[in-house]
Amino acid sequence: MYKLLLCVRYLQTRYLAFICIVSVMLGVATLIVVNAVMSGFSTKLKDRLHGVLSDIVMDTDRMEGFPPSPEAGRPETPDEMIARIMASPAGERIEAITPTIEVFAILQFPFRGQVITKPVRLIGVDPTGRAAVGGFSEYLVRQHGSPNPTFDLTPDALRRHDWNKRQREQDAAFDVGAPPAPKPPVVDPNALPPPDLELGKGTPEVKMHGVIPGYTLAHFRYRDEHGEVQEEAALKPGDAVTITTVGGGDLKPVWGNFLVADYLKTEMSEYDQSFVYVPIDQLQKIRGMDKRCTAVQLKLKDYDRDKEFVTNEIRRLYPYPDVQIATWEERQGPLLSAIDVERGILNLLLFMIVGVAGFSILAIFTMIVSEKYRDIGILKSLGASSGGVMSIFLGYGLLLGTVGCGLGTALGLWITRNINWIENGLTTLTGTALFPRDIYYFKEIPTNVDPMNVVLVNVGAVAIAAVFSLLPAYRAARLHPVRALRFE
Amino acid sequence: MLRAENLSKTYHRHAVQVRVLSGLNLEVKTGEFLSVVGASGSGKSTLLHLLGTLDAPDSGAIYLDGRRIDNLPARDRDALRNQTFGYIFQFYHLLPELTTFDNVLMPAYIAHSTPGWWKSRGRWRARAEELLRKVGLGHRLKHRPRELSGGEMQRAAVARALLTHPRVLLADEPTGNLDADTGGEIVRLLRELNREEGVTIVMVTHNMDIVSATDRVVRMTGGVVSDDTRRPAPVPHLIAV
Repeated sequence: MYKLLLCVRYLQTRYLAFICIVSVMLGVATLIVVNAVMSGFSTKLKDRLHGVLSDIVMDTDRMEGFPPSPEAGRPETPDEMIARIMASPAGERIEAITPTIEVFAILQFPFRGQVITKPVRLIGVDPTGRAAVGGFSEYLVRQHGSPNPTFDLTPDALRRHDWNKRQREQDAAFDVGAPPAPKPPVVDPNALPPPDLELGKGTPEVKMHGVIPGYTLAHFRYRDEHGEVQEEAALKPGDAVTITTVGGGDLKPVWGNFLVADYLKTEMSEYDQSFVYVPIDQLQKIRGMDKRCTAVQLKLKDYDRDKEFVTNEIRRLYPYPDVQIATWEERQGPLLSAIDVERGILNLLLFMIVGVAGFSILAIFTMIVSEKYRDIGILKSLGASSGGVMSIFLGYGLLLGTVGCGLGTALGLWITRNINWIENGLTTLTGTALFPRDIYYFKEIPTNVDPMNVVLVNVGAVAIAAVFSLLPAYRAARLHPVRALRFE
Repeated sequence: MLRAENLSKTYHRHAVQVRVLSGLNLEVKTGEFLSVVGASGSGKSTLLHLLGTLDAPDSGAIYLDGRRIDNLPARDRDALRNQTFGYIFQFYHLLPELTTFDNVLMPAYIAHSTPGWWKSRGRWRARAEELLRKVGLGHRLKHRPRELSGGEMQRAAVARALLTHPRVLLADEPTGNLDADTGGEIVRLLRELNREEGVTIVMVTHNMDIVSATDRVVRMTGGVVSDDTRRPAPVPHLIAV
């Protein structure tokens, strides 16, 4: 009974104990906040890495599309490939499947009298099919979350296109006396690609097609005179772009004109500044690879359960060296591993903070034991055992650790919950943005509190407090009662 | 009741050896109020520590009711100090974090586990209150030691020493830190307890004035008993201090 009583009384009356509690509290709070933020970044990054990738991607490096099937003696059409996969044992575990074409390209568009040219990753998709496998419509700005997104233009976009067209015609009419301008890389952005008459592909349908560029491709960010990040649209819905890529068979340059229909905003700069989606049928026509594709994207009914089975089954169906089949995690493997390794190392380093708190407990406990020499002598003269005296100081350490952990957990969770409010306050106070949105493309600092992590941090911190109180407790227990009573 | 046979004790300070007790023999009878006097360094306090099992002799033996106690296992010695012996120190030695009441209860706290304490706490609390009233501190239960005078602290220490009904009270200069009047009060209190509760008391003192209150005076010189005088039982109201 006396051990509990003295632990509690020492805790209530020793201001030095308060320092120990604050040390443990700050260590635990820091660990919880940093872990929550790291986990938030990690989770958000993983979501986004998975976001634009379907569960399983089957693709080929061949520019003309998948290799010919030995059975058919010709390349399979996307419909034939899908039918073959869905007829296999893997079919019943697949929720959605869609073909795509992915190829590098150059995007050009006029902006403030200049032609802007950017390298991009051009992806031809069936918008409804791509939305079904996930990671597409939830990132569209105008058609956010739509189950049936399209490349169609809104009436406003069409009106802007007409206005642009008239503007160019007026400029040409007033420019009679001017010397002939140098030939621009794109003569007329609205011109249709010349038909590949040699290959007998025929004249493409006279229709303007929509394009969905990445948000960063279509916008410029800059800082104004106040240092605030400003954003300006370089491409608005209805504006025309020209996309140049290579043909599917002979690798000759081909190009097409498209009108901006929507934006893709994943908040992943890599995707937002390079991805450009166009209708797959139009890309097939431009590249002369009619009824072929370079990738098939699959969404599984239960990813964790079926990923291995479906991957192996498709590998069995398409055992060609130039066809790769991989889950989204395998494709992003190095990056995901790097995130986990970073988090592990950071945790290890941060746990040293609690280690420092442990050393402060050791120092303060040594002082407290020295102060309590006479009390130890009194207790032993009243019949307290050496083990009992040791238990007092061990229990005291545990109590300090537990109280420090409790307060640290409360503080850590409060900071995590209000981290954006705190960041705003500190930014206002210091005048320096602690979390520049233009770097991370996150609207706010992402956090994710893992209860198991909080428990582990608490257990670790209490254990450290107990371990560091062992030595002073042992010294107290070993103290000779007569020497303790005579201690001045 | 309590018998020391041929006790020797030497302290080692670096290379220097200080022989404090050199074959001391002493027998204390049940219900006796015995005072031990002698010059500083004569081994009075060491004798008290050995009798109360706070320390162990280098040679010799100590018997309580015929049972040797100086070589008992630590657990049994702890139990003896808790149940059989009561200590009173010159500097009171109350725990500063606890109230007077909790200080007095400390031997009972030590004797019981937490569940055991909750079962018997009513009895112990009543005993502590009774003792504190008896020593004149019934109104100071919730006061901390720093809020008490020297005499009050020593009276609280006496109450603590008596809580578990010890058979032997070992008092190490209980008046050494008090003025003459307050010291006299403490000795009168001890004499009263000795008579009323039959507690055997061994009191070490420098103060030759207060030995008149005791039944027997043992003088120590050079680590042995040099004189052992039995006194006629004093009349309480005539105790001169």
